[in-house]
Amino acid sequence: MENKKKLLLEIKDLKTHFFTEDGVVKAVDGVDFEVYQGETLGIVGESGCGKSVTAFSILRLLDYPGKTIGGEVIFKGENLLKKTEDEMREIRGKEIAMIFQEPMTALNPVLTVGFQISEALLMHFKISKGEAKKKSVELLKKVGIPIPEQRVNEYPHQLSGGMRQRAMIAMAMSCDPILLIADEPTTALDVTIQAQILDLMMTLLKEFNGSLIMITHDLGVIAEIADRIAVMYAGKVVEYTDKKTIFHHPLHPYTLGLLTSIPRLDIEMKRLNVIPGIVPNPLHFPSGCKFHPRCRFATDRCKKEEPSLIKIEEGHLVKCWNVDKVLKEVKKGLLVEV
Amino acid sequence: MNRILKKLFSNGTSLIGIILLVFFIIIAIFAPAITPPLSDDPYQIPRMSWDINPQPPGSLMSDDMKEIYGFLEKEVKWEKAICGTAEGGYDIFYGLIWGTRTAFKIGIITVFISMLIGIILGSISAYFGGWIDEILMRITDIFLSFPFLVAAMVLTTVLGRGLDKVMIALISFGWMGYARLIRGSILSTKEETYVMAAKALGVSDTKIIWKHLLPNTIFPVMVQGSMNIGSMVITAAALSFLGVGAPVGYADWGQMVSFARNWIIGSPGHAGQYWYAVFYPGIFIVLFVLSWNLIGDTLRDILDPRLRGEL
Repeated sequence: MENKKKLLLEIKDLKTHFFTEDGVVKAVDGVDFEVYQGETLGIVGESGCGKSVTAFSILRLLDYPGKTIGGEVIFKGENLLKKTEDEMREIRGKEIAMIFQEPMTALNPVLTVGFQISEALLMHFKISKGEAKKKSVELLKKVGIPIPEQRVNEYPHQLSGGMRQRAMIAMAMSCDPILLIADEPTTALDVTIQAQILDLMMTLLKEFNGSLIMITHDLGVIAEIADRIAVMYAGKVVEYTDKKTIFHHPLHPYTLGLLTSIPRLDIEMKRLNVIPGIVPNPLHFPSGCKFHPRCRFATDRCKKEEPSLIKIEEGHLVKCWNVDKVLKEVKKGLLVEV
Repeated sequence: MNRILKKLFSNGTSLIGIILLVFFIIIAIFAPAITPPLSDDPYQIPRMSWDINPQPPGSLMSDDMKEIYGFLEKEVKWEKAICGTAEGGYDIFYGLIWGTRTAFKIGIITVFISMLIGIILGSISAYFGGWIDEILMRITDIFLSFPFLVAAMVLTTVLGRGLDKVMIALISFGWMGYARLIRGSILSTKEETYVMAAKALGVSDTKIIWKHLLPNTIFPVMVQGSMNIGSMVITAAALSFLGVGAPVGYADWGQMVSFARNWIIGSPGHAGQYWYAVFYPGIFIVLFVLSWNLIGDTLRDILDPRLRGEL
C-alpha cells in the first residue's frame, strides 16, 4: 500500500554533530526515515534526544558549532545537503516550512504580524506590498483569527498565546509548502487550544495534500494525528513503524517505557511508571546500546555491542537485541487501546 | 515612539537637557540673524581690533578696523563686542554663536558616521561569526588599543589642520565602541527563535539583520551615540585647545578657550581680570555637553531592555 504513495522526503543516515570546546556532541547520529506525500510522520522522544536538531538539519538551519557531517536529505529526489545556500533559501518557506514551539519567541516582538507574514510572500513571489498585505489578511482569516483586518497591524504581544500560534501557522502556510515541520507546536499552549491548533494544521495540510513532520514528546498528540512514528533516543531512531503497531505491540524497551508511563484511568496504579535514569550526556554516551543503563531488559551483550535498526516484520524497524523479551512483556497487556 | 517622547518631556532632568538643546538649536539656526557675518567665510571670527590684550564686554570696534572693513567694502552691521574680545581682538560673542554650528557639525556628523561604521561591522561580525568575526574583532581590538585622544591628535597632526580632518580623526578612533556594543546585542538576539523562524521562511541574511536584528538591538547604540555627541565635542575642543584642531580664527569653542590660555589668571593685582575670555566659551561647552548627557541618560532609562517589558 505504501508503495503507491509518493515519496516526498527521505532521510538516510543523517548525522549532525556539534563541535563544542568540550568535545563532539553527536546530537543526531544516523537517523533514517521517510515521509510520503499527504502523510504525517511523528517523531517522539525525550528532551535532548535530537528531535529538533533533526528538523533543523533538514532545512539546514544550524550554524557553527552545529554541522551536518553525513547522510542524505532527499526531498523530491534531490539531496538538500548538496544545494547552495541560495537554492536552500528558495526551498525554505516555499517548499518546506516550519512551526516552532514557543509562539511568543518565534514572532519578532518589534514587527507587526502582517509584516512577518508578508515577508515570506514577498521573498518567494513577485507581488507588491499591497497584495502581500491583502494575502496576509486572508491567511489570518483562514487560520481563524477574528477581525484579521485589525490584527494584521498588531504586534505579537497584543495577541494571546493561541492566536500567536495561529499567526505562526499563517506564516508557515503563507507560501503553501508541501512539507510542514512542526516542532512541538502545541507544547506551550493549554489543552483546549492544543486540539484546535492540531485540527487547524491538519485541515490546512489536507487542502493541498501536504505532509507533516510532527515533533513532540506528547504521545497523545501522536495518537491523534500521526500515520507513522519514529521513536528517537540519544540521536538515533530506535523504533520506526506505523501508529497502530507502536501502540499495540512496541518492540523497543524505550517505546514500551514511554507508553507505560502515560497516566491511565482504566487500570489501578499506585504510582506512575517511569523510565529510570536520565538521558545520557551526549559527550559521554554509554558503550554498546545507548539505552542499556536505563533498560530493564539489558544483558551483557547490550553493554558491548550496539544493535542496528533491523526489520522485525514488514514496516516495523527496531534497534534492540531483546525484541523477544519485550514482546513477552507486551503480551501481558498493559498498553492503551487506540 | 510617542511613549519615548512623553517620558522625555515628563522627566525633570531630561527636560532641562531638552531646553538646553533647543536653545542651542535656535542659536545654530539663527546664527546669521543674531550676528551677521562680516567676511565671506562666516565661520571666520571677525576681529574687533589688533589689540593683543582681551577687551572687556561692551567694548567697541576700533576705528582702524572699521577703516579696513570700509576699504573692503563690507558693511559693518554691528560694532559692539557684547562678550568682549579674545586675544588678538577676536569677537567672543560671534565665536560663541557660530561655534554652536561647529559643535553640532562635529558632534552629529562624527557620531553618525562612526555609529554607522560600528553598526555595519558589528552586525556582520556577530551575525556571520567564525573567522569573519575573528578578523573584524581583532581589527577593532587594534584600534581600541590606541589611547583615543593621543591617536586623534597624531592623526590630525598628520592630516593637517581643519575641521574635516578633526572629524576624520574622531571617526577613525570612535567607531569601535558601537561595533562592540552592537555585536554583543546581536550575538544574544540572534539565538532568539524568531531569527530561526525567519530563516526557516527563506528570508535573506541582509533582511534578517536589518529588519529582525537591528530594530531589537539598536537602542543601546543610540543611547551611547547621544551621550557621545557631547564627548566628541569635548575631544574636538581639546584638539583645538592643543592647537591641532580648527584653523586659527575659526569659530570653534575649543579654539576660543585656547585663545584665553595666556589670560586665565588675569594680570598682577587683578586676578580674573580677563574672566570673559575663558568663561563664555567654557560655559557653552559645558552646557552643550550637559544637554546631550542629560538626554542620553534619560534615553537609557527609557530604552533599557529590562524596562521595555512594560511596553
